Amino acid sequence: MSETPNYDSEYDAIVVGAGLAGSTAALTMARDGLDVIMIERGPSPGTKNVFGGVLYTPRIRELTDFDDAPKERYVAKKTYSMLSEEGDETSMSIAPSSWREEPHNNSWMVLRADFDEWFAEQAVEAGAMLVTETTVTDLIKENGEVVGVETDRPDGELRAPMVVLAEGANSLVSEAAGLKDRDDRDNVAVSVKEVRKYDREKLEDRFHIDGDAGLAAHYFGDGACGDAVGGGFLYTNKRTVSIGVVYSIEDAAHDKKTPDEVLEEFKQHPAVAPLVRGGRMVEYSAHAIPEGGPDSMPELVHDGAVIVGDAAGLVLNSGVHLEGTNMAVESGYHAGRAVADALAQGRTDEAALASYETNLRDSYVVENLEHYGWFMDTAAEEKEFLFDDLPRALGRAGDAYFKMDNTPKDEHVSEAKSHILDATGGWLGAAKKAWKFRKMLS
Amino acid sequence: MSTAKPNVPDTPEIERESIEDRLYTVKYSDSGESHLDVKVEGICEEKCTNYECVNACPADVWRAEEGGVPTIAYENCLECGTCRFACPHGNVEWEYPETGNGVSYKFG
Repeated sequence: MSETPNYDSEYDAIVVGAGLAGSTAALTMARDGLDVIMIERGPSPGTKNVFGGVLYTPRIRELTDFDDAPKERYVAKKTYSMLSEEGDETSMSIAPSSWREEPHNNSWMVLRADFDEWFAEQAVEAGAMLVTETTVTDLIKENGEVVGVETDRPDGELRAPMVVLAEGANSLVSEAAGLKDRDDRDNVAVSVKEVRKYDREKLEDRFHIDGDAGLAAHYFGDGACGDAVGGGFLYTNKRTVSIGVVYSIEDAAHDKKTPDEVLEEFKQHPAVAPLVRGGRMVEYSAHAIPEGGPDSMPELVHDGAVIVGDAAGLVLNSGVHLEGTNMAVESGYHAGRAVADALAQGRTDEAALASYETNLRDSYVVENLEHYGWFMDTAAEEKEFLFDDLPRALGRAGDAYFKMDNTPKDEHVSEAKSHILDATGGWLGAAKKAWKFRKMLS
Repeated sequence: MSTAKPNVPDTPEIERESIEDRLYTVKYSDSGESHLDVKVEGICEEKCTNYECVNACPADVWRAEEGGVPTIAYENCLECGTCRFACPHGNVEWEYPETGNGVSYKFG
């Protein structure tokens, strides 16, 4: 891009953060012939990153030779369980046979320290430069336009026509530069997770998995993380299990129990304890997750800068779908292409970069966020029903429905019904709730 | 929030790991100076009664003290950012540890 005037830098674009969004943007731009530098604050990409456990790979497969990537297990089975605090579990298990065949529904458990390092390496092989142990502390702006970054290295100023902000959930740089506001705490969740190591054979026996097959288990209800809006998760890796809880910081702030204590309690639940017994905790981790949906998305495009990934609030929690990795990659991809197109015209202004936002809005990313935008607010409104009354009612209804005694089954059925109707507030209440959550599975 | 462990027979007893045990598993490099602070001590003293930073922190970084200004064990910090959002007064000063210091996850 030597025709781009007035810049003394050797780089066309600076990428802040070498996570999934940043490395995708760097890879996309480098393949387009741009000179790209990624600035990562960790000792290597991935060392500062935390997620639950599943990487969704439709775009990554197009961009890389994913067969070479370090990965753990594909998702062969998903389970969704309602846990009451009394110890009940009511669950559903989904294991379509097609998930066992390539490409395994593009759903793989990975460990970020391994995967992100490999993924950044793909960008480096495409020609991008990677600098680690360097933190971007601020943006350099001239006449309202972003023209570079400040770092915490001596003489740490670096200028380039474009900056891609892929700094993650704690988007300090974007906030300091006035490109976005800090999210409200009811739009952000805290997640804590531990990775536990087991003998591989024991792990496969315990979870009824073999080869590369794995389990993605999701838990809701006050047996998972109290009466907070949130849930628990368990993902099987090759030799380890990732188990954790995620819930609203609004709830965490009011609860005297700290997130690590909530996780300890989740592990004690009768539905969970047999799955995690034994083994050894090899890592504890925590991270904030932006879950504010479409209304929390900042302006994605600025003069000289674009925002991608978690920094752009691109995480989907619909109660059923828990996604972010795919959306980070998709945003990095569209941002990278938009930057390359703009620079090809010798431009870095907001209007020239608008295709990033347009393409992201036309993609499943924003489409899904908007489709399920109602969920988090409704879940908060219906917190007591959803996380407290319903899991208990389902437990009691199950108990009644399958009861073995000397009464006929129609009595069992009506008892089961009455437990559910008590929780919903009768038929009318049930209808209202069904209407409220009608779009949950559509 | 949830009460103590439900009393259900034939459930294995899971050993509780203390926060010290948890933090011991985390690889960490100390920058030697805190990347966290309270912005205005007076806000903690006068406006805060419930230590929401302490409640929400998953790493025992923020600790309640008499007088209302929490102490900060920054070397426990997992850089999750929860306190940044949790403080209802926006009174948490939060930066990243410099030049790659702080946590370094092996799994992540």
